Amino acid sequence: MTNPQRPPRLLVVGLGSLDRGDDAIGPTVAQRFAGLRVPGIRVVEREDPTSLIDLWDGEEGRADLAIVVDAVCSDQPPGTLTIMETGSRRNPLPEDTWARTGRGGTHAFGLAESVELARALHRLPGRVVLVGVEAARFGHGEPLSEPVAAAIGPAIDAVIALLWDTGEVGPGPGGRYVRSPSRSNLSLFSVVRPREVAS
Amino acid sequence: MSHKLTDGGQVMHVGTLSRVEGEGAMHIEYSGGEVTKVQLRIYEPPRFYEAFLRGRAWTEPPDITARICGICPVAYQTSSCGAIEDACGVTVPEEIGLMRRLLYCGEWIESHALHIFLLHAPDFLGYEGAIEMAADHPAVVERGLRLKKAGNDLMDLVGGRSVHPINVRIGGFYRMPTIAQLRGIRPVLEDAREEAVETVRLVAGFDFPDMEQPYEYLSLRPEVGYPIESGSVVTTAGKAFPVQDFTKHIQEQQVEWSNALHATLDGESPYVVGPLARYTLNFDRLSPIAQDIAREVGLGTTCRNPFRSIIVRAVELVYACDEAIAIIDRWRDGIVPSVPVPPRAGEGFGASEAPRGVLFHRYVIDDEGIIKDAQIVPPTSQNQPSIEADLRTMVKDWFEADAALDDHSLSHRCEQTIRNYDPCISCATHFLDLTVKRS
Repeated sequence: MTNPQRPPRLLVVGLGSLDRGDDAIGPTVAQRFAGLRVPGIRVVEREDPTSLIDLWDGEEGRADLAIVVDAVCSDQPPGTLTIMETGSRRNPLPEDTWARTGRGGTHAFGLAESVELARALHRLPGRVVLVGVEAARFGHGEPLSEPVAAAIGPAIDAVIALLWDTGEVGPGPGGRYVRSPSRSNLSLFSVVRPREVAS
Repeated sequence: MSHKLTDGGQVMHVGTLSRVEGEGAMHIEYSGGEVTKVQLRIYEPPRFYEAFLRGRAWTEPPDITARICGICPVAYQTSSCGAIEDACGVTVPEEIGLMRRLLYCGEWIESHALHIFLLHAPDFLGYEGAIEMAADHPAVVERGLRLKKAGNDLMDLVGGRSVHPINVRIGGFYRMPTIAQLRGIRPVLEDAREEAVETVRLVAGFDFPDMEQPYEYLSLRPEVGYPIESGSVVTTAGKAFPVQDFTKHIQEQQVEWSNALHATLDGESPYVVGPLARYTLNFDRLSPIAQDIAREVGLGTTCRNPFRSIIVRAVELVYACDEAIAIIDRWRDGIVPSVPVPPRAGEGFGASEAPRGVLFHRYVIDDEGIIKDAQIVPPTSQNQPSIEADLRTMVKDWFEADAALDDHSLSHRCEQTIRNYDPCISCATHFLDLTVKRS
């Protein structure tokens, strides 16, 4: 997956607006994950999905793995995690799979469009994984809903599991390592329902 | 979706408008050779901003109202600052006004690039959207992304963030960028200006339906320069009045089919705000490079064809890059970032030119600076009647030209007609207070 001359570029993006209810889940997870200070991982927050293209494929080169955490609406119970993968070496996901992600912010041009636009321009990372958290509300100034707030930890675990599976994240020098993920065998296209989240 | 009426008429309903900001729908009824009903239905949930601004401090509107829209937050910040400063009797120094204008240029570049390349151009080049267009015209889309990024970078530098800037305050800014930082972004803006000129040439070559809007145009006009961050109000009917008189001329009313208020100008409707109005009323204020490229592509000094608004946006893109460079070239270090704005009881008015038209704010504050009343008139609610009027005209023309026009084609053309306005539905939704008297 990577050029042997350089370490892989691993990116975690929290997408969404902190001020619009459950749309804050992306940046909230990114902030909490950044607090773990996992070496070698670039962690950013973004509100504008079109900015992701330059983030994935900018001056620093193209990312090998981009994990995007975002609120989604897919008629699942609020708090449900949906993990989906696409990328330059994979076929596009079915159109309706992404169609309802990215609501609530400034997403006149949403995450799905940005992913497929990057693909059309040959600027999509090898792997893009969406960690979607089913949202309940997008009101201005509202806090996270209870089920979505309860999904913060599991969403972070999902991010860690995805990074762990690359083999690039684990016990590090000086005893510094990320904690063992609770779902290291997390399968792609998986759905983690709130009851499992709670357990 | 459409269905035939028993009298031979037809009803068309498009449930979700694509490639516009926010959530809206369109309802059209056509019967006996006439369009009998056109309704642009804005069903995004009502916004309570005007209500929850009441009781807040006079220093808060720039940060609160910026959250109304991720596409035009600087417009909200600038109009709210202008209104609060007006209420408090403070006029900011010229340099602070210039820095606001520079930040605003970033928003124009970002917003116009997004609309021209990713939302509107696919209509003219025959694609469902930017993704499909990118497969055949990658260089065009890449140019749009570079221009958009130039705007974002300028907003990052001056505003602290490209979405919902955090460096704006009543009275000015929290800090000013240094001349070294500004010079650092100048080459980006020079490249953007060149790409914007090429953009004008590109979009001027599109095919445009014939249409001339007969409506009154309204824009700001400052004492100097093209209208962006301030100015008084002028119209193509020769009206001219200060922003303080805005609500004497512009009235808003609720219509049952939309969450957005409809606006009238001196009781008349429709009227138009936005690029066409700015351009038609202020061509003489464009910079030489912007005027030259407009003349080169044969745009003329006025433009009343809404489909050609994509060319006018591209000319404004040139102007915004050019103006940003001009401001950077005259900037110097050591400017005080803000001036004090102590509260005093009163009413204040502010208006600026959001990328899609005039955005008006009015506040009433008490002597402790607590907001007692707030009013926001966004551009899309002002344009909503003219969008519907355009649809009436065009649908009739299209059916006269081709009575067998299929639903898909009709729907696409109607959406394109709406996109001419770059509507920001998120900005336009209001909620009407309702009192029920029971007997």
